[in-house]
Amino acid sequence: MFEPIKVSLESLNLVTLAPMLAAVAGGLLILVIDLINGKLHKSFYVMLTMLILFIDLGATLGLTLNERGFFNVMLEDGVAIVSQLLIIVASMLFTPLALTSKRFHEYSYPEFFALFLFMVAGFQFMVASDNLILVFVGLETASLSLYTLIALHNRSNSYEAAVKYFTMGALAAGFFAMGSAVLYALTGTIELAQAAEVLASRIDNNALVLTVLGSSVLLMVAMAFKLSLFPFHTWAPDVYEGASAPLAGYMAIVPKIAAFAVSIRIFGMYIDLGVEWVREMILLLAVVTMTIANLMALVQEDVKRMLAYSSISHAGFIMAALALDTTEGAAGIFLYYALFMFTNLGAFAMLWISRHKVRRFNARFDHPYEKFAGLIHIMPMGAVIMALFMLSLAGVPPFSVFWGKIYIMQAAVNAGLVWLAIVMGLNSAISAYYYLKLIVYMFLKEPVKDVDTVYYNLSKPLMAVIGLAAVATVGAVFYVEPLISYVYFMISASGY
Amino acid sequence: MDNILSVLVFLPALAGLLGFVVNKESARAYGITVAAIEFLLSLWLWVSFDTNNAGMQFVELIPLIPDFGVSYYLGVDGISLFLVVMTTLMTLIGIASMSITENVKNMVVTLLFLEMTMVGVFVALDAIVFYLFWELSLVPMLYIVGAWGGPLRVYAAIKFFLYTFMGSLVMLVGMLFVAYIYHNVTGVWSFAITDWYALVLPIDYQLWLFAAFFLGFAIKVPMFPFHTWLPYAHGQAPTIGSVILAAVLLKMGTYGFVRFSLPMFPDASVMMITPIAVLSIIMVIYTAMVAYAQKDMKQVIAYSSVSHMGIIMIGMFAMNAEGISGSVFQMLSHGIVSGALFMLVGVIYDRRHTKLMSEFGGLAAIMPKYALIFGIMLMASVGLPLTIGFVGEFLVLVGFYEVSPVMTILAGTSIIVGAVYMLSVYKKSFFGPVTKEENKTLKDLTPKELWSFIPLVAIVVWLGVYPKPVLQPIDNSVKAMLAFMDEKAITQEAKDIIKVPHVSAHAREVK
Repeated sequence: MFEPIKVSLESLNLVTLAPMLAAVAGGLLILVIDLINGKLHKSFYVMLTMLILFIDLGATLGLTLNERGFFNVMLEDGVAIVSQLLIIVASMLFTPLALTSKRFHEYSYPEFFALFLFMVAGFQFMVASDNLILVFVGLETASLSLYTLIALHNRSNSYEAAVKYFTMGALAAGFFAMGSAVLYALTGTIELAQAAEVLASRIDNNALVLTVLGSSVLLMVAMAFKLSLFPFHTWAPDVYEGASAPLAGYMAIVPKIAAFAVSIRIFGMYIDLGVEWVREMILLLAVVTMTIANLMALVQEDVKRMLAYSSISHAGFIMAALALDTTEGAAGIFLYYALFMFTNLGAFAMLWISRHKVRRFNARFDHPYEKFAGLIHIMPMGAVIMALFMLSLAGVPPFSVFWGKIYIMQAAVNAGLVWLAIVMGLNSAISAYYYLKLIVYMFLKEPVKDVDTVYYNLSKPLMAVIGLAAVATVGAVFYVEPLISYVYFMISASGY
Repeated sequence: MDNILSVLVFLPALAGLLGFVVNKESARAYGITVAAIEFLLSLWLWVSFDTNNAGMQFVELIPLIPDFGVSYYLGVDGISLFLVVMTTLMTLIGIASMSITENVKNMVVTLLFLEMTMVGVFVALDAIVFYLFWELSLVPMLYIVGAWGGPLRVYAAIKFFLYTFMGSLVMLVGMLFVAYIYHNVTGVWSFAITDWYALVLPIDYQLWLFAAFFLGFAIKVPMFPFHTWLPYAHGQAPTIGSVILAAVLLKMGTYGFVRFSLPMFPDASVMMITPIAVLSIIMVIYTAMVAYAQKDMKQVIAYSSVSHMGIIMIGMFAMNAEGISGSVFQMLSHGIVSGALFMLVGVIYDRRHTKLMSEFGGLAAIMPKYALIFGIMLMASVGLPLTIGFVGEFLVLVGFYEVSPVMTILAGTSIIVGAVYMLSVYKKSFFGPVTKEENKTLKDLTPKELWSFIPLVAIVVWLGVYPKPVLQPIDNSVKAMLAFMDEKAITQEAKDIIKVPHVSAHAREVK
């Protein structure tokens, strides 16, 4: 006779699951509502999604720090909470962008919003666990939803983007599974905390060096795909180009925050164990990524592709903070994303308001630089705001991204890597060129006369989101202090 | 008014924002009025400034990001006071004499924002706040050159921006490193320059940091061989852009040396005297020769302005009170004189739409007032005694003579070569027969132009004859700084070279 398994509900600590459950239940609710009444307008679903995200945000804020739950697979430490907050805030910024004045058909499907909420839940699972299987499940839930969201933007290159992303994502998933398997073979557990203990006692065993390396390489390849690090970055510009502009901006932030949270857990463990090789590899990847992506961005003819390469370069910049393995470095990652989020989403949203259903300016690209020529005459406020976003991305003070850059550079200097700080500085100088290029087009060139207005897709909700992003970009100096102390506290509380 | 510095910094910015609302036709008057108010405020600052106090005055300190050591920290001493006054004066005169007709409103708004960043750089006492204004000043200038410039304006504007941006990012890493050392020593984060002064750094750190800051400042000055962006910027910029660029923006670089490099790295500065002096002398002589070879009047002024910046650099590294005070005074004189010269070139360009000297000739007979003012400014630029240019140049050369007589003589040739090319400009354009038909009907200075130049001429003569009211506060602060550098220097060699003048007991107390 088997004993019946007895699990007390208390020990499950289900409250650690509350944020994800809110998102999943919200997604299901949207599907049920669609069953009952299929004719509801997208504005209904947008607002419902916002409310669900709000509940999600409240549930996340209500979590107790460093709580474990649900058979100990959930881990709501500082990293988990901060990254979930960032994911939810970015999602709340993204959702109103569906309310464009022109009809883009993906938003008229309620499934879009359901998938979106499932994706958010997936990312939340990914960051709120140190169990590699749950991380994997979260990663796949989120990725599969994201592939579909991209494909819903009904154009041939959206399908191309979705399939490309799917293929690359499947490859990454394979690497992740294999890496986890090797780690399991090495330690007999898939919980990182336990794995670290076992590894610590066996790390001096020379026969295992190759296996330790193998597990770290496989996991790093998987994460490099997700973070679009060189040489696994090639999918990113095509996928961003194929996806709708807000989704591209979203993809440059949220999946990467989640992947960074996982990376901090995994690679932080290796570095703490004294595997210097991992740290050097990360540094190399980071430096090469930010430099190559910058050089590629210089030659792009399309603003969206330029922004895609620029976000790869920013990811490389942030990746370098991971290698520092200091509390400041880890805090820098989230601080940078918190600041970068507004600027980057704002910049992509500015592309979104100028999105036409057919290409009007160029046979190949949706957003060639010429499209923005003389924007200052057509739409002065829009040009000024876009210029602010560009200056912020280039790291001109006092705009938001500058504070992230300076924080990470200071962390690099503090960790004794002055050369890294100099490389970061020089890369910012290179990147200034392509951001300036857009400013030059907007302010210093004459508009291309024979095409109609560029603010084709503009609506009030879009203006509100862009305005919010602009305020957050310009006023960064006033909220950086509380942000730094909060993030730093959360990260140090979780022991990184 | 204790917070006059904040008012000085943010009045133009606020005025710039409000300026968007002002009607196009009134924009120009609005700009002049705001700039005049700002100038009067800066005069008030001068009047209420305690000239016997060598330390920082009107200090404002508000923690901005305490966890990171950044605070909103402003203050002014004898060195920066007059740079602030000069900035507001040149902005006022620049806007008043502006001849631009299209998009006047945008220009006025841009200039007001630029004024904020310039004043901000000179009064910031926190390195991050300094850096913030320093970088921000690039954006309005980029727009001024790019939007109102000549045919190659976009290239010139971007070259200007990227060149300076790259240098200052290296400087930023240097700043972060100083903050890191400060944190290691004291356990507190701070970017306050006055806190940093207290740091005694080992020689190798000093040298590396000196190099990092040097790159940022030298590109701005611009020191040879980093000067290549400047002729493009001047060549393409509209008159007002050139005036502000030459009068104020270049001074940011030399001011950076006085504010950061000298007091923070005294030993490294002493070790670098020879290399910097050599570079500066090359800069003085080489650009003077290039200036002589130019056909375009504006390019002559541009190169001569680079050449004179070399004199400022030499004086700064004389490490004695004469040299450094002279060099700070020369910054003011260079600002006023080269600003005026660019405005004068603008006057003739507005009439003939060419700046080629071969197009002119005999202008003295047709435009006597113009020729007279041009002559005075030209003499001041060359350094004729009893003009403002003489005082600074003389002090610099006297100061540097103590360091190296040979190099002083080489630098002194700049006065001769300067006289040669300047007088040849004057000869080609103003004397001789009137060869071109178009020139015969040129109008002399309009009242608007005349009234823009008269204050400048008055200052040139006044400070040339009686520089004491300006020189004395500068001298006080410079002496205090030298005494402090000498105390702080760790090598005997540096202590020997830094000449501590007899400092009044009062000034010592302040430091």
